[in-house]
Amino acid sequence: MNKQNTLTLVETLLIDYANGTLPLALEVLVETHISMNPASAKEIRMLLQLGGALLENSEPISLSEGSFEKLMAEIESGFDNDQEIYTNVSNDNNLLPFPLRNYVQDISRPKNWKRIGIGLSEQTINFGDNFGSTKLYKIAPGYSVPSHSHDGNEVTLVLSGGFTDEYGTYGPGDISIQETGAVHKPVADEDGECIVLAVNEGSIVLTGPVGRLLNMLIK
Amino acid sequence: MNFRVVEELISSLDMSMGSGFSNDNQNSLSEWDSCLLKIGKYRDKYAFKSLYEHFTPRLKSFLLRIGSDESAAEEICQETMIMVWRRAETYNPESAGASTWIFTIARNKRIDKLRKDSRPLPNFNDPLFYQKPIDKSDDILQRTEEEKKIKNVLKNLPQEQAKLILSAYYDDKSHRKIAEETNLPLGTVKSRIRLAINRLRTQLEDF
Repeated sequence: MNKQNTLTLVETLLIDYANGTLPLALEVLVETHISMNPASAKEIRMLLQLGGALLENSEPISLSEGSFEKLMAEIESGFDNDQEIYTNVSNDNNLLPFPLRNYVQDISRPKNWKRIGIGLSEQTINFGDNFGSTKLYKIAPGYSVPSHSHDGNEVTLVLSGGFTDEYGTYGPGDISIQETGAVHKPVADEDGECIVLAVNEGSIVLTGPVGRLLNMLIK
Repeated sequence: MNFRVVEELISSLDMSMGSGFSNDNQNSLSEWDSCLLKIGKYRDKYAFKSLYEHFTPRLKSFLLRIGSDESAAEEICQETMIMVWRRAETYNPESAGASTWIFTIARNKRIDKLRKDSRPLPNFNDPLFYQKPIDKSDDILQRTEEEKKIKNVLKNLPQEQAKLILSAYYDDKSHRKIAEETNLPLGTVKSRIRLAINRLRTQLEDF
């Protein structure tokens, strides 16, 4: 997909993030993206401020009677014990952007990667819902992901390194979007390993001759 | 997700009411920003009550307008305010005004409601909560200026654009409903919203 369309879709992703309608996988992808991309962070900041302003401007409608007293009773009963909200982020994955760390198995351990081709491995991330599939891909320098199409939209975020496909060149923090049916062959930059986070609404269909073989292996 | 880190980041900014902010900065805080700081610092229940009385009727109305039903709206209001009480001490006036902060908590609470498998923790990793300043001059003054500008631009929007801007915050169900009613593909509905937001951004830049 060309850069302009991608830009448009990224803008839509950011709006959906601000209004809270994204599935968890995409929500985490967008959080990771904004932690790496100041322009998108600024956009989200604006969208949340806009939400605040719309909230502030809303015509007040009373809550049912006694709501405040009910709330205070709940708070005072100790039910507001907030221990559960202190979770520690894993010490693993220090190299990954912070919003992603707790969802990913330690990427420094080879056992957490599954080799799916020459110079190509993957780690499946489970977000505990039934939404599409989310994977980390690790591509060795200069290697490529076999040419493949998508039977659902796919959003890819570069975490480290970079890649080039038919549509452009992508570096850390960049998002590439492949719409259903789009075919592309990403090649990792020569100067380092490339790690990407890919969220796919459907599943990926490999299209090349080797790819078709891989399709069978992946399933 | 990681609250310790969030809190460390936030407390590394000087949060103390007395000495942390210059007079200038103190003056630029809104009544509700200060109220929230008071709740965080002194667990002041009277301050909490006035904050509650100001924000929950507005939040309820906002939630009703963006697609929640009556009982969900009230529930989200209550859950949001519990979270406000719990987390008030982490409120950082450099990153958000009270209404933006409360909006963001309500956003998370609404997500928890809509998602079957809710995210285990409310998402305080929103950039407003943890992000380091976008540039060095970023501080309370810049933040209050930004929010003031948005309010002013909103006030002067043509009605049609104002409606589109509000619909950016609709839930998925309401977006689909618009698509059905207008006989437009969902993508087109979203495109229109995006264009209205883009226009707003230009208006903010020109303001």
